[in-house]
Amino acid sequence: MELLSYVIRKLIGGIPLILGVTLISFVLMVYFGPDKTFELLSKNPTEAEIAQVRAQLGYDRPFLVRYAEYLKEMATLDFGFSDSTGERVSSILSRTIPVSLALLAPGFVLGNLLGIVLGLVAAWYRGGWVDKLIMGGAVVGMSISFLVVIVAFQALFGVVLGWFPVRGWNVHDLPSYAYYVTVPTLASVFVALGYNTRFFRAVLVEEINRDHVRTARAFGARPAEILFRNVLMNAMIPIVTRILFSIPLIVVSGSLLIESYFGIPGIGKVTFDAITSGDQPILKAVVGLTAVLFVLILIVTDILYRVVDPRVSLTGDAR
Amino acid sequence: MIMGMLLLAACSEPPSDDNRDVYRHSEDEAPASLDPAQASTVYSNMVVVNVFDTLYRYKYLARPYELAPNLAAGFPDVSDDGLTYTFRIRSGVEFTDDPAFPDGTGREVTAHDLVYSIQRHFDPGVRSQGAWLWSGRIVGLDEWGQNGADYAAPIEGLKALDDHTLQIQLTAPYPQLVYTLAAGFSALVPKEAVEFYGREFSVKPVGSGPFKLTSFNSALATFDRNPKFDRGVLNLADEGYRDDLHGTYGLQALDGQAYPFVDGLEIHFIDENASRWNSFISGEVHNVMVPNEQIDRVLTSKDPIELNDDMAERFHKHSGIEAGFVYGGFNMADERFGHHPDPDQDAANRALRCAIRDAFDWQARNETFYFGLGNVFPGVIVPLVPEFDADLSRRSVQHNLQSANQALDEYGWRDQLPSMSYGMPSSVQQRQMFEQFRAQVQEIGFSTDQFSPESFATFGDFSRAIKNRELDLFFLGWSLDYPDAQNTLQLFYGPNETPGSNNFNYNNPAFDALYEQTLTLQPGQQRTALYRQMNQLVIDDCVVISGLSRTRVHLWDKQVRMLPDREILGGFFMRFVDIGNESETAAMSN
Repeated sequence: MELLSYVIRKLIGGIPLILGVTLISFVLMVYFGPDKTFELLSKNPTEAEIAQVRAQLGYDRPFLVRYAEYLKEMATLDFGFSDSTGERVSSILSRTIPVSLALLAPGFVLGNLLGIVLGLVAAWYRGGWVDKLIMGGAVVGMSISFLVVIVAFQALFGVVLGWFPVRGWNVHDLPSYAYYVTVPTLASVFVALGYNTRFFRAVLVEEINRDHVRTARAFGARPAEILFRNVLMNAMIPIVTRILFSIPLIVVSGSLLIESYFGIPGIGKVTFDAITSGDQPILKAVVGLTAVLFVLILIVTDILYRVVDPRVSLTGDAR
Repeated sequence: MIMGMLLLAACSEPPSDDNRDVYRHSEDEAPASLDPAQASTVYSNMVVVNVFDTLYRYKYLARPYELAPNLAAGFPDVSDDGLTYTFRIRSGVEFTDDPAFPDGTGREVTAHDLVYSIQRHFDPGVRSQGAWLWSGRIVGLDEWGQNGADYAAPIEGLKALDDHTLQIQLTAPYPQLVYTLAAGFSALVPKEAVEFYGREFSVKPVGSGPFKLTSFNSALATFDRNPKFDRGVLNLADEGYRDDLHGTYGLQALDGQAYPFVDGLEIHFIDENASRWNSFISGEVHNVMVPNEQIDRVLTSKDPIELNDDMAERFHKHSGIEAGFVYGGFNMADERFGHHPDPDQDAANRALRCAIRDAFDWQARNETFYFGLGNVFPGVIVPLVPEFDADLSRRSVQHNLQSANQALDEYGWRDQLPSMSYGMPSSVQQRQMFEQFRAQVQEIGFSTDQFSPESFATFGDFSRAIKNRELDLFFLGWSLDYPDAQNTLQLFYGPNETPGSNNFNYNNPAFDALYEQTLTLQPGQQRTALYRQMNQLVIDDCVVISGLSRTRVHLWDKQVRMLPDREILGGFFMRFVDIGNESETAAMSN
């Protein structure tokens, strides 16, 4: 009951956040975004045709009317049709979001798990050669452009070794999934691992210096036990925060390069194309749903805080 | 479990048969809409002309381009006054099966479908990008659109006489009419499918072309051969085959065989050059148009264009110039440097434009951005049309600082050169082009800040600025809609001023009179002579800095028997593509 009332309270509290995000983004779209009119017109348009297309795009209506329509679309989850392709926005989302999630999930999970493990090892051997080796590798991963990594991996695994395709997404079963997802996953893990390891090491080093860890060591606990029970579990709050809050960014924008270069029809490429072409129906849907996703993640994050640290109260009462 | 569900949702259709012959084609951009009414780009047409039928198409191999009947059962009967065209279309042609039809079975294509397909362009709800091809040309058609686009209402100049006969009545002779019926814009669409899919017809096209679209997204379009498509056999001689030009491509083996030859088609839309190139080298796609950055790696000679030994052993090559050109244009509506009511100032303004044109170095532009492969030519009649004049003076495309400085001195421009804006879409290469241009005009006295760059996030915004006359100078490209010089000369016709296609707002009564005179003339020496006079006027008035036609270098797997082409309305060639087996390929390589 405590949980339910908390979720309801947070959902209601998230409404101003969603309104704020959608309002600001809609202002940017309307007043600073690309004008789609001339991309939809012929080579030889007349003034009447220009006016007609502007009316069809809704450009001639007052801002507040258009924003009210946006909110209605949010409430009904009906964002109409893409201004570019004419495809229903809901169809585009339902077609592309699963692809992006399936594409990014392995890299996301592996990148974070390996980052935590390497962070733990580096923190345990802090200052030693193991630590320096891991951190050196992390710096290398962070220093190389993602674009270079993608092109190099494509050339290595696709052209030179010929083990995996250079690009494409012809997934129809588990083996074909593994075939198409491996190189994108390796590329994203290669880059993400550097950032993740550095972050997790910093968090874990702070925890490893605490009195309770020293006490556990004095009691003769095994290193693995100390690392997992005393260090990792007590450092979970910043770790959970980082992991969960990276989800919306990864889904919406993190996949852009991978999807573009690997020819994968996901939401990242769709969003990028919508931004650069001013396809407002798609942008409105992506921005609005991302705001909702953030609110949901805020709630999940708070609940997970409670799970990993029983001292945290969902009601705000001190324990 | 969540991963399993995700995977299920992310799955595409499994391949139906691994042994199918599938031609895998690469393009450098994805089309937005597949509705013929919006088929304004090469990328859209690549799909449209393969899914839909047009009355005419271009011959596979003949250059300059020549028309051939496609859905039409021959060329039209034309009345003596050139105003009435009667077209016969093939009988027994059917649309592909689709849920849009009763029982899901495609019905016969009729002349009524062509009437409907052209009508749609004038329906305000359709957002047509091709109406300009017929606007003001067909009796009653514009009025039909203005009066509410009632599809039940008859149109005097556009009617089906019976299921297989179409009659078009023109307001004035229109020699380019048959060309327009080879354009993707004119493709025949079934009313049932348009109504069934509504706006999503643009991604769920239903036609009667050689292939049926099975899936489409921003990365890939897949097609199956249309089993109902029957246009007889490939006659190489009729298609313009020449042994000296096409003999090495293995096309002879296809002569006399029914097409299309492949079971399926895939068009891979790959924006990034590196990915497209790697996909080609690894064999994932069968063809590539060589990206600029690979030119030096692939070629041993640029004139003539020759592949290095490794590439020549693995791939076929074909090179040719584009059906279009790139150019710079002045906004002639600006009295500071364009048209001016005072004849003396008008002459001075012309001298200023000519000086800027003469300061521009096409050779440097070609070497820097087109690897020296471009074809620099004077004027606006491009090399790929029959009216091109190879003997025209090249004076207007020569970098001539002496002449430029002399003109500025003579007309008193020295120390009072105007500040001008230079518009461009936002990209690194466009900025580099601007910097090169600015360095060149500095040589005739323009200071660094006198040409200010104005970049735009999208081509649409750039286009809007041009149409609103906000830019003094702009560089653009133009792709031909049909192989007739009229298609580029109409860019300078006064009544077409912005927001029309005359982005220069050029307004020369002498030019307009000549243009109107040519409008009704059939191809021939008289029309060509008038075209060339108009071309000379544009050159003499220094309206444009023109031009350069880019050279395309196509490579393709030797296993594939074809000649790829994306000019004018790329895509017709795909019906003639064949995938040979390995022994045939080895034999061809030897």
